[in-house]
Amino acid sequence: MSDVIAAISTARGSAAVSIVRLSGDGVKEIASRIFFKKGFEFELAEANRLYLGEVKAGMVKDRAFCVYYRAPKSYTGEDVVEFQLHGGRVVTEAVLETALSLGARPAMPGEFTRRAYLNGKMSLSEAEGVEALIAADSEAEAAAAYRALDGELDKKIRETGELLVQATAGLDVMLDYPEEMIEDTRPSVVEKLEAVKNTLSALIGTERERKMLSEGISVVIVGLVNAGKSSLMNALCGAERAIVTEFAGTTRDVLRETLEINGVKVTLSDTAGIREGAEGAEKIGIERAEKAVNGADLALFVMDGSEPESGEERELYEKIRLRPHIRIRNKGDIDGYPREADVTVSALTGENMDVLRALVAEKTGIKAMTSPPLVRQRQLHAVTKALDCVRTALRDMETATPDCVSADVKEALEALYSLIGEDAAESVVDEIFSKFCVGK
Amino acid sequence: MMKRYDAVVIGAGHAGVEAAAALAKLNKKTLLTTLSAEAVAFMACNPNIGGTAKGHLVKEIDALGGVMGEIADKAAIQVRMLNRAGGEAVHSLRAQVDKNLYHRLMKQRMESAENLDVMEADVNELIFDGDRVAGVRTAVGDVIYADAAVICTGVYMDSRIITGGYERATGPAGFMRSVGLSENLKRYGLDIRRFKTGTPMRVLSKTIDYEEMELQPGEEGLPRFGMLTENAVRNDCACYLTYTNAETHRIILSNLDRAPLYNGNISGIGPRYCPSIETKVVRFKDKERHQIFVEPEGTDTCEMYIQGLSTSLPFDVQEQMLHSVKGLTRAKITRYGYAIEYDCLNPKCLNAALGIKGFKGLYSAGQINGSSGYEEAAAQGLVAGINAARYLDGKEPLILTRDSSYIGVLIDDLVTKGTEEPYRMMTSRAEYRLRLRQDNADIRLTELGYEIGLADEKRYAKYLKKKAEVAALKDTFSSLRFGKKDLSNAGIETGDTLKTSFTVTELIKMGVGIDIIKNMIPELASYMPEALTCAATDIKYSGYLSKEDRRVAEESRLNDYAIPADIDYGAVEGLRIEAREKLGEIRPMTLGQAGRISGVNSADVTVLLIYLRKKRQS
Repeated sequence: MSDVIAAISTARGSAAVSIVRLSGDGVKEIASRIFFKKGFEFELAEANRLYLGEVKAGMVKDRAFCVYYRAPKSYTGEDVVEFQLHGGRVVTEAVLETALSLGARPAMPGEFTRRAYLNGKMSLSEAEGVEALIAADSEAEAAAAYRALDGELDKKIRETGELLVQATAGLDVMLDYPEEMIEDTRPSVVEKLEAVKNTLSALIGTERERKMLSEGISVVIVGLVNAGKSSLMNALCGAERAIVTEFAGTTRDVLRETLEINGVKVTLSDTAGIREGAEGAEKIGIERAEKAVNGADLALFVMDGSEPESGEERELYEKIRLRPHIRIRNKGDIDGYPREADVTVSALTGENMDVLRALVAEKTGIKAMTSPPLVRQRQLHAVTKALDCVRTALRDMETATPDCVSADVKEALEALYSLIGEDAAESVVDEIFSKFCVGK
Repeated sequence: MMKRYDAVVIGAGHAGVEAAAALAKLNKKTLLTTLSAEAVAFMACNPNIGGTAKGHLVKEIDALGGVMGEIADKAAIQVRMLNRAGGEAVHSLRAQVDKNLYHRLMKQRMESAENLDVMEADVNELIFDGDRVAGVRTAVGDVIYADAAVICTGVYMDSRIITGGYERATGPAGFMRSVGLSENLKRYGLDIRRFKTGTPMRVLSKTIDYEEMELQPGEEGLPRFGMLTENAVRNDCACYLTYTNAETHRIILSNLDRAPLYNGNISGIGPRYCPSIETKVVRFKDKERHQIFVEPEGTDTCEMYIQGLSTSLPFDVQEQMLHSVKGLTRAKITRYGYAIEYDCLNPKCLNAALGIKGFKGLYSAGQINGSSGYEEAAAQGLVAGINAARYLDGKEPLILTRDSSYIGVLIDDLVTKGTEEPYRMMTSRAEYRLRLRQDNADIRLTELGYEIGLADEKRYAKYLKKKAEVAALKDTFSSLRFGKKDLSNAGIETGDTLKTSFTVTELIKMGVGIDIIKNMIPELASYMPEALTCAATDIKYSGYLSKEDRRVAEESRLNDYAIPADIDYGAVEGLRIEAREKLGEIRPMTLGQAGRISGVNSADVTVLLIYLRKKRQS
């Protein structure tokens, strides 16, 4: 019996096709809730056959291939499902995230290979060079994890871990020293667990952050006709492939695109109405723009730097002024008219687009989320699991015996400490002896 | 004078007797040496066996076919079950033991065992043939030839006892110490360290005012340590509880300059979990009082053990502080408390079979391995004895995993993590605490003990019976139903639900205790009480246990993967430098153990796995 592990098994970013691989007992069940095809049932899936269908992962939908390998005839020797997806990170990560939310666990570096070995699946020739790959992979991951942890998240995890150590010690000291512990530590344990719950929830649970992680941040572009909204949109999407195309226009390609800025999904929409040339269009346009801005996390207010400021532009700006926004003076490549702006860019030449991206990241508060996907997934998975365990512990505090409650608290602690490489058990023992006067 | 044995066990303390008994039972001609025949299985400190985590160890020793449980049951004069409020997983049996009786019974058990000789000898040198053990030499120059040796020197190697400004180069309780062996081990490059522990004073019973203390009686109807123990415990001795007070603390604090622990006279590393009273008072200044348990040393003596006042303060200070305690104001001390320093091995010198790395046939167990406690010592002695016997038979060593037993956790912690203080077993060290219970120790280990050849037919038959009963009970519980009305008649509230009947399994999961269920189903009286506890607890914990199961399954694939002893980590490409160093130092026996070394990560383990597979294929 082995649990399901999941990972993106292709190199990040560059490839046209990326693969999400799942291995372990129960992959079919998880896969059946991600991959759909008319008249197709996972239970009856033929092994080694390429199925073309659709993946649905959160808000993301895309055409994809899916292959099922039946144990033991697979890379790992276990049941394996592979999704072959359009390259780029958005779909790939959404599929991975969904698999994790359905019970898979993020694979450790080299874990697929390890399973292949344990199950006797790899021949000598196949093994050549694999060590180096794993080592390199793990170095890169370790470096990435280190970077990711060298900040706010790391601090939070350490602080929360510390509280969990104290909570576990509070429970365990009663179990290891029942005769000497006269005071009831439970009230303080509950207090600590509540604090942990709040911190962890804040870390993953607030509406805003959950949205950022699962649906992405919504950013709208507003501006007058010919301000260069569509070229700005194309420039922002740039090398990033546009993946999800919901409404295709006739003259312009896209009204909404999902892209990624600093590792966070961003749904970028153009406020379509304003460009319509019909009578009274500007008025309707302004109303629509206002509406769109109200529903978004951030507005990009685009001004045409080649033209002088107009009354309509001012009127439009008034409407969005109080919402989070960035003022962009576009067409910076032309000697034009000054504006009060946060950044001057040229969508045409790409000038200052990186500055704009950084501004978007800053304004949406996604600065801290710049770690690569697998590392971030593992962190998210660990934090989610920890929160889950803490909730269970709090729920059972009154009804279950302390040995059981402690099991949940420790699981939470181990999940967090696995991220920072601390020894959970030893920390608890240290805490017991430093805080409580026990021992005869 | 020349003697020849299959194996020699150096030291007849709690580790030594288990090692010797196991070797002899496994048909090895064994010599058990001791500095004094009066010191065989001597309980140098507290007069009890068991307690939290330690009770589990005793049950496990017994389940494998060891001797501690059997003798502890015979010598027990009072028993209690600790931790009832903590949950079944941590229920811990503890017995007050008659020290002299324990020593006499164990000595007799050794003397009467087949294949086993007991002899006073001061062993101070190991003899090797290459890297193989060939025997030992005693201080008088006698040679004892043996192909395997188990070193169980406890706190006796180069030991020194200290009370205030007084010190003596001696073992505990005036027994002679071992001189020379420590030097000899150092000569072979072994890492010898200095640890410290201590013991409180003993006082005369007739000088104690018991009516001023709280009585701590024993409990009736408790299970025993030994699966094969038939009789009930005597429970005819009481313990008492009293407390230190502000005056006691004042006396201690005003004499700290005379305390060897604080004036620099003791440099050995002492255990945090067994602090001296001076340490407790200094470290926890806010605590107004500390508990003191007054416990009988036995039934043939009038000495009482003052649990909680472990100290190395000078004699006059010991008297002053003792007399400040309620109930002890006129108490007369028979033996003063002392600290003891001793030489021991860095347990990182050992492999998971308790073999000393770099040698063949050489094992060590007990306090020499950096542990503390009778039970911890006995557990290691048993494993070292088994593995010495298996070595002589050319068999693979027995390695107990962390999910199998507290013994496995104990040994894995010692040899994989090492320890910087005398190591005490604690339930919080066991990540699989909910499965490692007293009530299922035999279910977990007796099959193994039988395979090894230690658990005999009688024990095995009893284990099979219990196992079958547990299975039958679980079966019955899942099908036997009670209606809502019957339940409310029995005083069980089922709450607001549309369900009209409940299976016993459901009731247990809802928190209904086994005692209530026993009353509802009279037939259950014919089952073994421990089978009932085991079945009910398995059901109650099933959610947690299945979580543990998954983790165990995951880990067992690596725990089952052996690493050859002669592996050259320098030849393994792709290992990080830190991992290479740590692996080279610990030399783990399995991939699972490798992964638990701090500084070795998951990728390193995979790299190692690939290397091993390649090696196997080529």
